[in-house]
Amino acid sequence: MNLQDYIGKPTGAGRVHIERGAVARFAAAVTDESDVYRDLNAARDAGFDAPPAPPTWTFSAPFLGTRPEDQPDDVTDGEGNPMMHLMTELMRSGGLVLHGEQEFRYHKTPQCGQVLDWSGVITDIYTREAKGKTMTFIVMETVFRDEDGEPVVTEIFNLIHRGA
Amino acid sequence: MGNVTPRLDYAALNVGDEGPVVSHELTRTCLVKYAGASGDFNPMHTDEVSAQAAGLPSVFGHGMFSMGLLGRAVTEWAGHGNLRSYGVRFTKQTWPGETLSTRIVVTGKEEGADGKVVTAAVSLENQDGEVKLAGTATVLAG
Repeated sequence: MNLQDYIGKPTGAGRVHIERGAVARFAAAVTDESDVYRDLNAARDAGFDAPPAPPTWTFSAPFLGTRPEDQPDDVTDGEGNPMMHLMTELMRSGGLVLHGEQEFRYHKTPQCGQVLDWSGVITDIYTREAKGKTMTFIVMETVFRDEDGEPVVTEIFNLIHRGA
Repeated sequence: MGNVTPRLDYAALNVGDEGPVVSHELTRTCLVKYAGASGDFNPMHTDEVSAQAAGLPSVFGHGMFSMGLLGRAVTEWAGHGNLRSYGVRFTKQTWPGETLSTRIVVTGKEEGADGKVVTAAVSLENQDGEVKLAGTATVLAG
């Protein structure tokens, strides 16, 4: 398949629950000991209804808060994430996969107890030559929406395959 | 949402001002904790035997651990719930034994429809000044 054919393809969709235990553990793992992530009263004092999720939490959310019983229909027609297919294809001739850039845009602050629906898409693919190696950039965007369909966090990120 | 108030004083901030520095020594335990809490179990971050078999000197840090550590510093500076955007480019791997320090430098101020927005250059570097990731955060001030 031509690289350009991947642009616009959905990477997946899912529903995630923001759970207090997972959020507290995640905060600890990024060295943040703030009570706001752990103590409902501290969260309320900080102006929230419930403990908020740390800034980079949504990146991990699908691994932490997914419940099999309430997932949406597969948007990839059973084929899985096309990014994974492309990377597998590129890795056949060796090389390395790198996380190049990661951006979060916060429309609201996600909070424990919320249920968010995410959907992702490949927005761009391009190649660059660097030091005699081909770098293939896959740019993706994932939007997390709340129960009202309002965007909460938009993630824009790329993965890079650096040829052997 | 409840009633989140900005921590930063817009009028008192100037371009070039720096936020507090957070320093943290990266240990293998940090990587195991991050793997467990994030669900990223790539063995290059947690399994020394696999990492060395792949030609690496040791396990290396998750880029998203570094971004999380820097995100903590940005949050402590601007206050919970005041981030509007936070983006970085990953430039170098991190290694156990390094001491990672955050840097936040105000680069702009703009008062508009979205409120009083402060832009900062944010980065994380090791004890030798090698930059591991660098980018931009925009936060709300009061």
